[in-house]
Amino acid sequence: MAFDYFEVECPEQVGGEYYRRLAGVVLLDHDLVKVISKLHILIDPRVPIFVATGVTRKLPPPVKVGDIAAVNIQGEKVVLSIGDETHLAALLRLLWDRFGKERVDQPDRFTVLMQLTPGESEGIEEIVVTDPSETLYKDLIYALQTIAPEGFKVRRQYYGQGRFYFVASENTLPDDILTLVREKFALMGESL
Amino acid sequence: MILVPITYKGGIYRHDEVVDLIEDLGGYIIQKHAIAGEIVIQALVPRDDIELIRRVGKPLMGDVTPAPLVGTEIAVVSMSLEIHHLPHASCDIAEYIRRNGAKTNMVGLARGFGKRVAQLNDEERDVINEHDLAIYMLGNFGTCIEQKFPVLRRGIDIPIVVCGGPDKETLQKIIDPPVDGYVGNVGRFMHRTKEAEELTKLDEIVAEVTSVLDHRREEIAKDPLSVSPARLMEVIEEQVPDIGDVTSPTPITVQIAGLRVKLPYDTFADQVKAAGIEGGITVGDVADVLPSRMRDYILVRIKPFSETNIVV
Repeated sequence: MAFDYFEVECPEQVGGEYYRRLAGVVLLDHDLVKVISKLHILIDPRVPIFVATGVTRKLPPPVKVGDIAAVNIQGEKVVLSIGDETHLAALLRLLWDRFGKERVDQPDRFTVLMQLTPGESEGIEEIVVTDPSETLYKDLIYALQTIAPEGFKVRRQYYGQGRFYFVASENTLPDDILTLVREKFALMGESL
Repeated sequence: MILVPITYKGGIYRHDEVVDLIEDLGGYIIQKHAIAGEIVIQALVPRDDIELIRRVGKPLMGDVTPAPLVGTEIAVVSMSLEIHHLPHASCDIAEYIRRNGAKTNMVGLARGFGKRVAQLNDEERDVINEHDLAIYMLGNFGTCIEQKFPVLRRGIDIPIVVCGGPDKETLQKIIDPPVDGYVGNVGRFMHRTKEAEELTKLDEIVAEVTSVLDHRREEIAKDPLSVSPARLMEVIEEQVPDIGDVTSPTPITVQIAGLRVKLPYDTFADQVKAAGIEGGITVGDVADVLPSRMRDYILVRIKPFSETNIVV
């Protein structure tokens, strides 16, 4: 596993080993192994509590229109020549929402043709198509929810500045849960 | 005549000769399905004639293997039908047991998860009790199993095999009163079972289930059933023609001591009860015909000889 730090802390040794494998498989399935650099999981079925704390690697920057397409503006006619198809669906959805379907034409697979006023076409290269950090948060929380025991429905989660935590329990979470989270960050040599 | 369960796998070409042979020998076809160019027949056949079937099947690329679970219906009880438990491990185990001849049904509990909140409702209890055996797929922690299992087994009167994360000895220690079978080191996991070690574990589950069911069969043999379930299946197939319109893979599911007939109870129960077996004896004389809690099916529970004084 390509983590810089990966520990599963559990009072039941066998259960802990299973959760280590389980966490590895789930993160691999969700393509998150490359994204996470440090991960510490505490699971204590006696309390019961599940705490996952971690640090993500530096994420790729948001993808802008200018990154995936060459923009050519001739008066009111704006031509986007698509270089990377990966984000084309997201780009089209964004353009439809912003300018309306009737003004966005796609005569062939790699060309998008639009009729825009000069005001509208200004700064079109800078429009953000997708932001990896947005989907990452959703994916990360979904994966951790899958790893945590199913009965642990009461949960609290956070992601920001490259750090995340996910706390879940079957009972009400204690008020001082952040103290425990900070302790786990300290074990990884990090702080929240 | 002692009937033993077998699986016949062979080419589709001339497979009807094998079917005819099994029927002529006094055996029963429990299930027959064709996959691409191959046919898989699960049957109960006379023990002395297995060699003959093997010999007839050989030129047709057929192979006969013993399948101890043929003629049984097993409930695989999953703690929920969420991504946490499906498709691995519940489906992997259900599918593997099915390959060994059993008819498995997955019972996903509405509230099986959690240590404190786990519970079993009356419908789940009744549906599980309609099977020959229940395999409980529990989690990875002994603490949770110890606390929640007594709730999940409440009212279950069929044999139970428990699969859980802790090893077999720990499971035996924490489950009180004991259940019929234990398989340790099979808790919640989320990857496909394909490594040799994992397949050995699946074989271990099959072995444990087989041994529990063998024990059950021995108990039934002490007070034999009034009629064999496989024979009763044939009687119903002949006398209730509507069963031919059922699209389910097994319109009649054979159990160790009964049958599940997949026809609506209200419409067909009387017809099933009135079906004649031999010499004026009807299904109603030797079996209880009950409404099943699984959809609107009919559940036929065969009475033992001590109750009816009839053996047909």
